[in-house]
Amino acid sequence: MMIIMKTNATPQQVEAVIASVKSAGLNVHLSQGVEATIIGAIGETHNMPTELFEVLEGVEAVQRITQPYKLASRQFHPENTILPVDGFTVGGEEIVVIAGPCAVESRSQIIETAIAVKEAGASALRGGVFKPRTSPYSFQGLGEEGLEMLAEAREKTGLPIVVEIMSQVQLDLMVKYVDVLQVGARNMQNFNLLRAIGETRTAVLLKRGLSATIEELLMSAEYILAGGNQRVMLCERGIRTFETATRNTTDINAIPVLKNLTHLPVILDPSHATGHADYVAAIARAGIAAGADGLIVEVHPDPAHAVSDGKQSLKPEAFAAMVKQVGQIAQVMGRSLVSVNGAYQSARQGWA
Amino acid sequence: MMIIMRPGASQEQIDAVIAEIEKQKLTSHPIFGVEQTIIGAVGDGHYVAREIFEALPGVMEVQRISKPYKLASRQFHEHDSVFPLDGFTIGGTEIPIIAGPCSVESREQILEIAQAVKEAGANALRGGVFKPRTSPYAFQGLGEEGLEYMAEAREKTGLPIVVEVMAVSQIPMMEKYVDVFQLGARNMQNFNLLRAIGETRTPVLFKRGMSATLEEMLMASEYILIGGNTRVILCERGIRTFETATRNTTDINAIPVLKKLTHLPVVIDPSHSTGDSAFVSSIAKAGVAAGADGVIVEVHNDPAHAISDGKQSLTPEAFAKMVKQVKAVAEAVDRCLVDSPLPLRIPYGDGKG
Repeated sequence: MMIIMKTNATPQQVEAVIASVKSAGLNVHLSQGVEATIIGAIGETHNMPTELFEVLEGVEAVQRITQPYKLASRQFHPENTILPVDGFTVGGEEIVVIAGPCAVESRSQIIETAIAVKEAGASALRGGVFKPRTSPYSFQGLGEEGLEMLAEAREKTGLPIVVEIMSQVQLDLMVKYVDVLQVGARNMQNFNLLRAIGETRTAVLLKRGLSATIEELLMSAEYILAGGNQRVMLCERGIRTFETATRNTTDINAIPVLKNLTHLPVILDPSHATGHADYVAAIARAGIAAGADGLIVEVHPDPAHAVSDGKQSLKPEAFAAMVKQVGQIAQVMGRSLVSVNGAYQSARQGWA
Repeated sequence: MMIIMRPGASQEQIDAVIAEIEKQKLTSHPIFGVEQTIIGAVGDGHYVAREIFEALPGVMEVQRISKPYKLASRQFHEHDSVFPLDGFTIGGTEIPIIAGPCSVESREQILEIAQAVKEAGANALRGGVFKPRTSPYAFQGLGEEGLEYMAEAREKTGLPIVVEVMAVSQIPMMEKYVDVFQLGARNMQNFNLLRAIGETRTPVLFKRGMSATLEEMLMASEYILIGGNTRVILCERGIRTFETATRNTTDINAIPVLKKLTHLPVVIDPSHSTGDSAFVSSIAKAGVAAGADGVIVEVHNDPAHAISDGKQSLTPEAFAKMVKQVKAVAEAVDRCLVDSPLPLRIPYGDGKG
């Protein structure tokens, strides 16, 4: 950390900061400039708040030099993390395509969608049963009944299932059913939930918050990793900006930036990132071209009558066309889509 | 336009709104709801300001249904605009790559870079001679001397030149030199400059403002189009957001959204939209994968000693690598890079007219 003193800081104030740095177990590197004095605090600082020094008298600013996260960083783990999820891997050469409806609406809807997305080339099935809807009057999800339906869809298709968890109290129930827990954008900084998930060994798809910086996303991932659950995938799903032509703004920069900062796999959600079915395929291609390790896409057999997110949901035929285009981009990138041949092996048996 | 009246608006107020609609040569279509009255104003209303109705008593809100721009819209011009730029086209199957330094720094610098980017596959040369720098103390560009160097670089390489224009007063001089005007992000809503460029027949690379919506960008391009200059190329160069990991946030959504709303070609500037040379190649590929018609990239022969934008400038070697990758992505989306730009300039049009 670099502690920059005010131009009029007294020698006593400088001494006090130095003493404080030393008492935090760090080494001091003093540099006295013409206008200001800068005190370098050298050592293991990722777990140290900047506030520790910001509050001292005579301090103008405190700048972090090292990243405030560790387990998620590439310095700590230089190689890409390659996570096995039920017959395929995420983060390696294979590109995973997770597809399905926003919400599980009925048994026939989820089973029909599961079969359709599988035929079109999906490698996993998504479907929400607890829905964080903006309005408390909107459909809130089918709960455990929905999980039963998803489990049946998995039995029928062999696709592992990705389901959003909204609260710690759902955890015991969810881990019995799901292959991948999804943490939604609105819960990215629900730290109790993150810690609880960190205690499980179920894979996690962690979505970026609507107004979270990339650093904040990685700090949230750190909460899960710190509990010992290393199976974390990050997901860019668009951020809130001034632009109103789309539901969110896809931060495509986040893909190469995250791949640079962290070893964790990075997935793109072009459905939420655009909010409009017309743009999903273009942004899916862009994501893979930018280096994403996978996609999560909303697909609905009848978007016009979907209970939620109909506008951004692809029909199975449009999804199949998207998968073909994405496959071509993947090839150019020296990668390939996961090929699912129906052999269903439980990830929960295979991965301790 | 839909004019939504306040709950409890009087019949007189409703009648006044209807009278104003008719005065604007539009047809009124009132819908009397349980709580509120909505009056539709039907017709070609793109030139009618919303404010005319917003100011009337009893009006709660005015919503536009049709786009507030016309010449730029796909409704007006259904097919993609494809136009020639010195030996190649933009907006069609070919994907041109424009490359060069942020600023022209010296004769040697621009000649060396022009040669290097040409060898690496660039189809046009960029280089600023009037620089809109954030700080008034920073290097402001070489001015006309820089244009002379750019012209010499064009002679030597055959690459057409793209140069930023910052003020109306620079237009007559610049027109003599440049093949494409660049209109920078900070000038996207400099309406006098836009109108003046609209009077020329020089193509324009039109950059999105840092906090401009896509609709505002299309409105601004309309200023150029109404002057009769139809060769406008739109450029996404990143927007200002809360994210600080990159200089700007590439609004990649803008590519397919613009391709849907307008017939004008759309290019991406991955250098400004990321601000870091480490990410330029990934975002260039993403842009082309999303449907962009071209790429404009900053390249410097010695980024560490560049006067401006060194951090986001590629070396010629990194640029050559990027071109290869972009070519592969272009082919994956059924497009191609420009094969071999012709060595001689092909004049287009006769200036005014």
